[in-house]
This record gives sequence, structure tokens and C-alpha cells, in this order.
Amino acid sequence: MTAVLALSQLAKHFGGVRAVDRLDLQVERGEVFGLIGPNGSGKSTTVNLVCGIFPQTGGTIELDGVELGRLQPHQRIEAGISRTFQNIRLFGGLTVWQNIWVAWRDDETGWASNWFGGSRHRRAQIQELLAFSNLDHRSEELAGNLSFGEQRRLELARAVAAKPKLILLDEPAAGMNSEEVTDLKKRILKLKQSGVTVLLVEHVMELVMSVTDRIAVLNFGKRIAHGTPQEIQQNELVQQAYFGSAENAK
Amino acid sequence: MAYYLGIVQNIGIHTLLGLSAYLLLLTGQLSLAQVGFFAIGAYTSGILTVIFGLSIFPALFAGALTAGVFAFLVGIPVLYVRGLMLVVATIAFSEIVRLFFFNLNWRAMVNGVEVGPDSTQGFREIRYFAANGWEQIEVVSLIWFFVGAVLALLWWLDRVRAGAVLRAVGEDELAAQSSGINLTRVKVAAMTGGGIIAGIGGGLYAHSTTYVDHNTFTILLATFAVSYPILGGLSSVFGTLIAVIVIQGVMIEGMRFLGDFRNILFGLLIILAMNFRPNGLLDGNTVAALKRRLFFLKAKR
Amino acid sequence: MGFDHIDVLQSVIDGILFGSTYAVLGLGFTIIFGAMHKLNLAYAASAIAGAYVGIGVATLLPVSPYIVFIIGPVASGLLGLILYTCCFRLMPDGNQLAPLMASIGALFFIDEIIIHQTAGSPISFPALFEDSFFEIGEFGIRGDLVFVMLASLVLMALLLLLLFKSKLGLATRAVSQQVVAAQLCGIQTHKTNATTFIMAGVLGGFAGCLAAAAVGVLSPLLTIPLTVKGLIVTVIGGLGSIPGAIIAGFMVGAFENLFLLLRGVNERDIFVFLLLFVFLVFRPNGIFGKTIDRD
Repeated sequence: MTAVLALSQLAKHFGGVRAVDRLDLQVERGEVFGLIGPNGSGKSTTVNLVCGIFPQTGGTIELDGVELGRLQPHQRIEAGISRTFQNIRLFGGLTVWQNIWVAWRDDETGWASNWFGGSRHRRAQIQELLAFSNLDHRSEELAGNLSFGEQRRLELARAVAAKPKLILLDEPAAGMNSEEVTDLKKRILKLKQSGVTVLLVEHVMELVMSVTDRIAVLNFGKRIAHGTPQEIQQNELVQQAYFGSAENAK
Repeated sequence: MAYYLGIVQNIGIHTLLGLSAYLLLLTGQLSLAQVGFFAIGAYTSGILTVIFGLSIFPALFAGALTAGVFAFLVGIPVLYVRGLMLVVATIAFSEIVRLFFFNLNWRAMVNGVEVGPDSTQGFREIRYFAANGWEQIEVVSLIWFFVGAVLALLWWLDRVRAGAVLRAVGEDELAAQSSGINLTRVKVAAMTGGGIIAGIGGGLYAHSTTYVDHNTFTILLATFAVSYPILGGLSSVFGTLIAVIVIQGVMIEGMRFLGDFRNILFGLLIILAMNFRPNGLLDGNTVAALKRRLFFLKAKR
Repeated sequence: MGFDHIDVLQSVIDGILFGSTYAVLGLGFTIIFGAMHKLNLAYAASAIAGAYVGIGVATLLPVSPYIVFIIGPVASGLLGLILYTCCFRLMPDGNQLAPLMASIGALFFIDEIIIHQTAGSPISFPALFEDSFFEIGEFGIRGDLVFVMLASLVLMALLLLLLFKSKLGLATRAVSQQVVAAQLCGIQTHKTNATTFIMAGVLGGFAGCLAAAAVGVLSPLLTIPLTVKGLIVTVIGGLGSIPGAIIAGFMVGAFENLFLLLRGVNERDIFVFLLLFVFLVFRPNGIFGKTIDRD
């Protein structure tokens, strides 16, 4: 296996706070990689650094061997990354269908038809993606009028529409009930089957432990452990980070 | 008759001005530079027909192009910085353009008469239409031909992906960026398009009034330009048209008896409208409801 | 025409002195922006309107004309409160356009009322210390401009004291940094924002009176240039930066007067406005601006 995403010595300082502190991380092709840690441990900052929302203080981010550090956020999407947000960010005034259309990437059609082509020749493909997300019956609804669960599914579908190599999910299960988490689990595994690599940032341990192949644990911006879900569950450092000490946890 | 044609002509030109602001507002950017592009279009095409003796169509084209080029050049630094700075920068731009034409003195002898922009005295003698025997009705038709074309173009834009992308940028810049959209490029494209539309409007304005001076191109006119789409609502191009008809046709023309109270009324109208209808007359839900009703009627027949 | 270095320096000095009014206006824009992250475009108009109300009261009542320097700021402060209530208080949180547009509406509402009341013609304003004149070596310094400068410095110092040493200022700064956290600490945001608008209004009223006193007349033609220059000062200083606004105010004043000397009154403002674009291209975050980092 080869690394799709390689972070080396990645750092981000906000004033005196080291939100991410010399982080090394390798996500292998085709795996579901979990990134966990207590609140404020730097998980979301890591996702934002990879997406280029703000510049890193130091270190490098490589996608398939290409350095992303100097690229604009939209160029990183073109390079093969896409993401969802912790607090859903849809285009609320656009229809469900248009939300996908905006993010849809199609390298085969030319520039003109990509921008100025009508909706007809994409409809089938987009409808298929919506069907996968259980949203095909809602395609003409404004995204802002969807229920919470539907909005989460639409955001995931929009991220998939960009045809990424690597998809970053920033706490996709936040606010979901157990039924919805089960549904999300299925979707993540389907993504994996289709060959997309997934970086999952999550608090819901049930989800992380059941879908990931490997996990890294952050605390105070540093990686304190990594390994398979089983190894992480046994790791005392991890328990300390979450619960203060191993004793308190029991 | 001439009086009513004058109103229709005025509404057409203000609609072009409003639509030029509408295009950029779709991306969530409030620009007060439209009046600057309008002035550039007016002076450029005026100079071309008056001093260089060009015909109206190439002159309008050149005016629109010049305005578009300026919109592009100004758009790059201005749209790269975010949000409220744009308002300040575009106000400054419009004032620079106004002061430039306030100082511009370009007199030339054409057929034994001295013509051209005469700095503080303004630019008279833009008499292409009269000199070439155009009737007023023909001038009005020409203006509304362009209004119709721009309306149709913007209406069509909402039916292709580019329109959805513009609106996506207006909805949430971060999410748009994270969907692979180059924000600066989209905004600069919208600014350039808006500049071209305003430039055509300016050229038509200069030739239909035969006289322009810097006093026309103030921040007040820039405010009119953005207030049409904002008051009319951004969900449909027709909101802008309706707002122009209401403000120019009913408020400014229909209420002449109010004298200069009309200008006070304009400020008050904006404040009230923003408090009670912050998303304009034709907002998303209203347009959806209207569409439903129209379709319902169709189904009944 | 040749200018020697004395002329140039003299005009820069005069410009810096007059620029103190821009610094005060820029500071007003800045604290409103700092509190709400919104621009109040009617701010300079309210400053001018305050000066007009002052003049109106001074001509109606048999008192010293210098009462404008008390009535003006009070009227502007009240206008600030009215502007907050009409253009900002009721607007939905996520909507940036509506309050901005409403404040532009208010700008023209105020401006047109002034034009209507005065038929657009300027009125003379009581001058301050117009006879005093200091000579230092080869330079001459107008006494009234020195007063304008000193008064502005005192005003700005008072405002900074209020912002950084009082409980009221603490609440203002808390709201500007974290609205929700401030609310959880029991700070009433609307009340704090309204106070900020009143403070800025009083400040603007003084600036309006000082500017009018230095120019000698009050005219509706002052509104737009003062608005644009106040905004430029705010942007060049770095949106939201207090020291930036103050320094940029002096800078714009000096720059303006220098180009008055070099290019004449008709072209002067073109160069001041171009200065803004120079900053937008080479230093988009202003003199002291921080890059916006975290969302």
C-alpha cells in the first residue's frame, strides 16, 4: 500500500497555542483512517490545514506525493480532496440538486459545457448519486428546508460529487441518533468499497471502532498513539487523555 | 407621448444599471462601483461618436468593453479582500472615476465646431441620434432591445451550472471553496460581466440625453443601482425590473408633486424595506409560491 | 511652479493637524466595526448632522455660538442611537447586506434632509482661535488647527480610557470578541452595541464640529467626502484596528494636503482615493491589520 495523504512535521500555532504540534501522519490508499482525540486536541485544525482554510506554521502536506502547502483551497479540491463540515455548511438557498451540481466534477466534458451546459445531460448521473444518498425524492427541495439527517446525507453526497481520492469527514455523526449512525456506517463502508480513501474525525467511538482500519489519537496537537482499533482500545495513554487516568475510566 | 417615452427610456437605462449590480450581488458582493463603470461607458462611447465620428454600435461596444476591462482590473485586488472592504473600495473607485471626468478636458474641432468633454462644464453635443435622424421611439426600442437581451441572458444563466455556482458563492464562500470553486475567479467574472452591462447602459444614457457631466455619476446613483436588485429581491431577475418601475416610474416620476421630498423618501424607503423585507420583494419563498401558483393555474386549464 | 521643501513640509504639517479629525472619524467607524463587524455608512453623515443641529440651536437661542461644541456631539450621539435602532438592531444575524444597505439609506436620508432644510447652501461656522498663529523658524502654524489637533487627541485619549479602563469598555470589548460568551456572562449585547453607537456618535459630532470650524463653513457637500475619507482611514488602518485608524487618519490628512499643494483642489481627492488602492494591492490588511485566521 502507498500513502495517499502524508503529513510530516505539520504544525499550526494560533498565537502561543500550538493547535497542531509537529504531527506526522500517513493515510494509506483505500483505508478508512480514524482521527480521534479529546475536544481541542487539534483534529479539526488538522482537517482545515489539509484543506487549506488557513496556512500551516510549518511542515508539509502531501497528497499522492504532491505538496499541497502552497495551493489555494479550491486547487486542493482539484488535486483530489473533498470534505464535510462539523457544523453542516450547505447552500441553503439552492435546491438539493443544485448543491450537487455545483460541486460536480466532470473532466470529460469541456470547459464550456461544464459551466454553461444545461442540467439535462448530468441529470441521470446526479440523480444516481442522490438515490445512493436516499435524497432522490427531495431533489427539487431547497437544501435549507431539509431535515437534519437529510442535510448530513446531502453534504456527504456533495463531497462525493467532487470525485475525490481522499474524503475528509469532520464529525459526520455529531447530533445523529443510533439509527442514523448505522446508516452512516454503511455509507462510509460503501465509499471504501468504491476505492475512496476516508479520513474520519469523530467523537462517536461506536462508529470509529467499527469502520476504521487504523486510528491515530491526538492530544494537545500531538499524536500520542496509533494503531488498529483493537490496539487503541487497549492503550493506556489514550484512556488517560480521554478520562484523566486509566483508574478513573474503570 | 414624448414625456411617457422619456420615462420608459429612463426605466430601461436604470434597469441595465440595476442588473449590472444584480449579477455581482448573486455572489454576495455589494459593489458601489457600478456607477463608475456606467460613467466610463458613457464618456467612452460619447467621445467615440462625437470626436471620432464612429457609428453608435461600435461606440457602444467599445464603451462596454472599456468598462468591462476596468471592472476586471479593479475586481482583482478588490475582490481578493473580503466582504466589507469591497464596499469602501468600490465607493472610492466610483469617486475616482467621477473626479477624473470632472477634470477631463478633451476638446476637438469637428466640422468647425469645438466639441468634447469640457471638465467642469460637462460633455454636451452627444447628438448622434438626432444627427442621424433617429426618432425617439427608435431610441427607446434600442434601449429596450438591450434590456431584453440582458434580462434574457441573466435568466438563462440561472438555468446553467454557472448560475448555480454564482449563487453558491453568495450562500457560503467557505463551502463553495471546499467544493472546488475558485472564489476570486467567479467574483471577478461577475464583476466584469456587471461592468460590461453598466458600460452599455452608460453609452445608451449618454446618447439618449445628449449631455453628461460628473454630477450624474455620484454615490447616490450607485446606491440606486444596488437598491433595485436588493429591494426587488435576488431570487429572480424580474425583481430588479419591478423595483426600477416602482422607484423610477411611480416614486420619482409619479410623485413629482412631492418635489425634493422624493429623495428623502428614497432613503427612508430603503431603511424601511430592509427592516421589514431584508431579502427583498421577490425572496426565495415568494418566488417558489408564485411558481406554484402559476403552475397550478396552468394545470387547471 | 516650483515648490521648495518648506512649502511641502508646511503643507504636510497642516495636513497632519487637520488629519486629526479624520483620525477621530476613522476611530468612530472602527469601534462600531469592532463591536458588530458591520459598517455604519451613515456615521459621517450623522456627525455632520450633529454639527447642523448645533448651529441651528445656537442661532435660535441667545447664547454663545460656541454652544455648538456641546449640542453637536449630543445630537450626534442621539443620532447614533437612532441609527442603531433603525438600521442594525432588528436585522437578522446572518444577513450582511441588509444593515449595510439600510445604513446607506440612512446616509442619504440624513443628507437629503440637510439639503432640504438649508436649500443646499453652506452656512458659516463659528471659527476657533482664528487670529492666533505660531511661527517656528520658517514654518507657520495656524492656531485653530493646533486646537483641532489637541482637542482630537484629548477626545481619542478619553475614548481609549473609556474602552480599556471602564466596565462599560470591558463589556464592549467582550461583545466584539465573542458575542455568545459575552451574553452568557450576562452582558446585554443590544445595550452594549447601542452604547458603542452613542459613544461613536458623540465622538463623530465633535469631529464634525472641529472639521467645520477649521473649514469655516458647514455644507452638505462635506458628507460624502468625509464618509469616504473616514472609511479609507478605517481600511488603511486595518479594519478594526484602533492604533491603525489613528495613524491612518494623520496619514490621509498629510497626503491630502500634500496633493492639494502639488495637484490643486480638483484633483486632490483622486490621489487620496488612489492611496486606498495602493494599500489594497500591497497591504490588504492595513497598517496594523491581522490576517483573519480562524473561522
